[in-house]
Amino acid sequence: MRVYLAKRILLIVPTLLGVASLVFVIMRVIPGDVALLILGGDSGQIDRAQLAAMHHRLGLDQPLVVQFGTWLWAALHFDFGASLWTGRPVVEELLVRLPLSLELAILATIVAVVLAIPFGMLAAMRQDSWLDYVIRVISIGGLAIPSFWAGILVILFLVINFGWGPPLEFTPPWVDPWANFQQMVWPVVTVGYRYAAVTTRMTRSTLLEVMREDYIRTAWAKGLAERVIVIRHALKNAMLPVITLIGTEFAFLIGGLVVTETVFTLNGVGRFVVDAVAHRDYPVVQALVFVIAFGFVIVNLLIDLTYAWFDPRIRYR
Amino acid sequence: MSVQYPLVEASASAPLAQRLTRGDQVVKFIRTKPLGAAGAAVILAMMFVAAFAGTLARYDPYQGDYSLQFARPSTEHWLGTDEFGRDLLTRIMYGARIALFVGFTASFTGCTLGALLGVLSAYWGGTVDLLLERLMDILLAFPQLILALAIASILGPAIQNVVVAIAIPIVPRVARVVRATALSVKEHQYVEAVQALGAQRKRVVFQHIVPNVMTPYIIMLTAQFGGAILAEAALSYLGLGTADPTPSWGLMLSGSAPLYAEKAPWMAVFPGVAISLGVFGFNLFGDSLRDALDPKLRRG
Amino acid sequence: MAAGFRHHPRLFTAAVLALLVAWALMATPAAVQAAETPRRGGILLAAIAAEPPSLDPHQESTFANIQLVAPFYSTLLQFDPYNFPKIIGDVATEWKVAPDGRTYTFKIRQGIRFHDGSPLTAADVKASYDKIVAPPDGVRSIRKTAYSVIERIETPDSATVVFKLRSVSASLLANLASPWNVIYPKKYLDKDPNYFRSNVVGSGPFKFKSYVHGSTLEGERNPDYFVKDRPYLDGFKFFISTETSVRAAAIRSGRAYIEFRDFPLAEVEAIKKQLGDKVVVQETPVTASWNITINNRLKPFSDIRVRKALSLAIDRYTMSRVLYPINGLKLLGIALRPGSEWAMSAAELEKLPGFGRDADRSRAEAKRLLAEAGFPNGFKVVLKNRNIRLPYLDFAVFVIQEWRKIGIEVEHRPLETAAWFADGQDTGNFELMVTPPVRFMDDPDLWVNMFVTGDTENWGRMSDPRLDDLFKRQTQTLDPVERKKLVNEMERIVVDNAYLIPGLWWTRNMVHWAKVKNYVAPPNYYSNQKLQDVWLAED
Repeated sequence: MRVYLAKRILLIVPTLLGVASLVFVIMRVIPGDVALLILGGDSGQIDRAQLAAMHHRLGLDQPLVVQFGTWLWAALHFDFGASLWTGRPVVEELLVRLPLSLELAILATIVAVVLAIPFGMLAAMRQDSWLDYVIRVISIGGLAIPSFWAGILVILFLVINFGWGPPLEFTPPWVDPWANFQQMVWPVVTVGYRYAAVTTRMTRSTLLEVMREDYIRTAWAKGLAERVIVIRHALKNAMLPVITLIGTEFAFLIGGLVVTETVFTLNGVGRFVVDAVAHRDYPVVQALVFVIAFGFVIVNLLIDLTYAWFDPRIRYR
Repeated sequence: MSVQYPLVEASASAPLAQRLTRGDQVVKFIRTKPLGAAGAAVILAMMFVAAFAGTLARYDPYQGDYSLQFARPSTEHWLGTDEFGRDLLTRIMYGARIALFVGFTASFTGCTLGALLGVLSAYWGGTVDLLLERLMDILLAFPQLILALAIASILGPAIQNVVVAIAIPIVPRVARVVRATALSVKEHQYVEAVQALGAQRKRVVFQHIVPNVMTPYIIMLTAQFGGAILAEAALSYLGLGTADPTPSWGLMLSGSAPLYAEKAPWMAVFPGVAISLGVFGFNLFGDSLRDALDPKLRRG
Repeated sequence: MAAGFRHHPRLFTAAVLALLVAWALMATPAAVQAAETPRRGGILLAAIAAEPPSLDPHQESTFANIQLVAPFYSTLLQFDPYNFPKIIGDVATEWKVAPDGRTYTFKIRQGIRFHDGSPLTAADVKASYDKIVAPPDGVRSIRKTAYSVIERIETPDSATVVFKLRSVSASLLANLASPWNVIYPKKYLDKDPNYFRSNVVGSGPFKFKSYVHGSTLEGERNPDYFVKDRPYLDGFKFFISTETSVRAAAIRSGRAYIEFRDFPLAEVEAIKKQLGDKVVVQETPVTASWNITINNRLKPFSDIRVRKALSLAIDRYTMSRVLYPINGLKLLGIALRPGSEWAMSAAELEKLPGFGRDADRSRAEAKRLLAEAGFPNGFKVVLKNRNIRLPYLDFAVFVIQEWRKIGIEVEHRPLETAAWFADGQDTGNFELMVTPPVRFMDDPDLWVNMFVTGDTENWGRMSDPRLDDLFKRQTQTLDPVERKKLVNEMERIVVDNAYLIPGLWWTRNMVHWAKVKNYVAPPNYYSNQKLQDVWLAED
């Protein structure tokens, strides 16, 4: 087990290094100059000398390898530098937006888990029945309907019929729970629906597989009640892939809810990253992608360790 | 996550099965999997409309009637017109072409490339496997939308670039699943026995690994199709997808939905319905296909 | 009672008269209510469409910056909020121009204090302008070139500022009225010229309260403001909200009372339908136009016939009718804003190629020119654009359709702002590109400079010595009548040679709740943002 653990942890290093390099390269390949953008503004006059001075001040005139090395070294000390666009430290900018994204991710996950596991179980236990069909159709709805479209229509419906619009700024739940609820309820429902849909389908399919296993058939033969079989025996094993899914989806939620955040005007991490890409704000994009990847890798590691713990065969691969 | 797909083995004790004709197989599918059949019907309808949009549509998708901007649905324009007076039904019909093109090309390219890499990685093992696995991990760890965004920014807005931007994040996801399946095949004693008997490498791959990999491949293909169409809509919303005047559903949705939802709700509703139906169809069909192909999930 | 009236005819008449008067008073239009007394108090809630990179107006040119910080600062001169473009003083009380036109002397009002209590003197004005005209290393002054005519700034005493110019300048006063040229306290600039990128110390009607990046900016009333009895408001709260539909929802639900920039007509109609008299819509023309820039150096666009064909093919009158309800592009003009003192009249315009009323004839002429130039069946071209929907994308879609009619197949390529800048301004890597000159005022210096050889705004890379000469002359012509003639001549040359394809000028619709009083939308969205005279009729 220890060997396996060591091997897995060691493998994180090249992965993170790879992600850092990839984002660095990609961002530099995209055409566009942040200095030009800053000086240009809405439609301003560009002074060549100012452009050169800005390049120098932002460190953009150094050789790429040097820029990468400087950044990586600082990143290992958790110093992600300052945004090229605003000049403020990246960490500071990130911390302003993190609470909202975290809350959204956590609440959506809760919604998903609370809905998905029971419904997934029901659908599996009643495969090919009307209940199964209904659950499956509603689940696919969560995947098929473009979330930004649904979100826009929901808000519009509320505005037209109730004259109600969502609050425009984030208030943490411990400051004003009602204001927080008003802002978060629709994004959580929209994201949670999709999340629940994916998880329900996964729960259903893994449960179906597990229920075909020989040891379950033995339990049937022994005459155990269906509920006992499913909950006490099948669910445990079916949960592993489901937990994996929840884990990876959660990691994705922190930085990936770009469209949701844009539609509902949430000052979150996803929109921040996309704006940074549009501004060619290299330090911000590099830092955020690195952090998200880091989170993803850690979550994966924990999941793999859980698998290894339960399934000895994997440890000795 | 690794879903184990069972090997297809011959069993001496199985009764001689009747050979079903193609027609019988289709009927059986419709009867036992009505949802899947419905999904297939939607897909076929989409393909039909896309192929014959030229003859089916009454108007030119690009030239609008400037005196009829934002016209309500009527006998003249069944689904109404948009901001330039262009017939919405016509544009939705032509839009099926783009949706199918993007969906199919992106998911086919992504899945095929991913499957290839997965098989190669599993089969050769050793350093090749290690390297490829690292590469796939790196791509997986990269947030999907950001990757697509960045690629779209680099390549510039054109429909083929949008396809590439959507396809690339698919590759590692498929590779992972296929690799797991291929590995389980490789390690099965049955294959080892065949190799011990001196069968050629290529033969082993093609005769044993590939057939077993087909199932997850096909399933991911249909699953990613819907995702690809939605990704194009999301990219259009962020300004990096196809460009007007191209009639793409994602573009119509991203532009019209928020701006004109009240003045001309048909502009916001119908493209969204079209996308939802399309993705629905592919997912329903794919689900039922998996249920049918995967012996473990069959009733029994 | 009626019976009683019969017996008292005088009473009856008096009653009728009284009723008539009461009815007349009730039916009197709101104009009479202009004599309302402003109410003190209240917090103004506003939705702002973007977030600026920094809070220093000297360094930014996005409306997001000036809309956020203008209430905190004062400027030397300003455009009269109720009478654009008349120039009145803000910090300056009076000014004189020397007879040779090269010395401007300003007297500074006494008793102005910055928010930290220190007095505002000529030294602060000089320090702020020095930063604009000749920024130190590492500081950018985004409109620097407009002030290159200033040779030096002197302060003979603490209440006088003198600007010495290299040559006569017709636009200097207008430039000094720019809302961007805020006055900073010298002592902070001395310590760190970039201090105001993230800090606010001004002398304006409001003091800085708080700023949550990406979210909100708050200001509170400055009790020591140098204009007596102002501001009326207790404070303001600005919400940064980049989605148009969310801003509209904010207005409709009352979470915001005003949006300073613009709503597309569809939203305006929806808001009006829901709120009726509770909202006011101010429609104003804007100092912004959308054109197609041609890369004059590239074949086949170096051929004047091809360029003219492209311009002739566009039916601008239909374009205005079709685009106005979509994205607000409405008025026809060339380089100077139609309706301003500098623009040609509609009659003069109609005579120019591309502005004729007979669209079919223009189109036939375009086809003929194309054939003559060697393209009887048209050709393929890429039109690059910026990927912002309003009004960029819909403008291009219309034009593309017009060009299709003369056989030109256009690939529409919207680019991200960064790439659009790189291709247009930096490398000139484009065939055709949508470009929008947007300025804060009408002065020709800001508009016709893009026709001058080598100017950074000359994205089309055109070069005509006549234009260069005319520009030099007009910038030093103080007589507005003469100057107009020179500027119009430049426009004629541009259109006759189709160096640029003029599109349309923008009209915006600003929406706010009726309870927000005394805000007049200027024909740009940069000036009149101080909010010192704005008041709320109710909370």
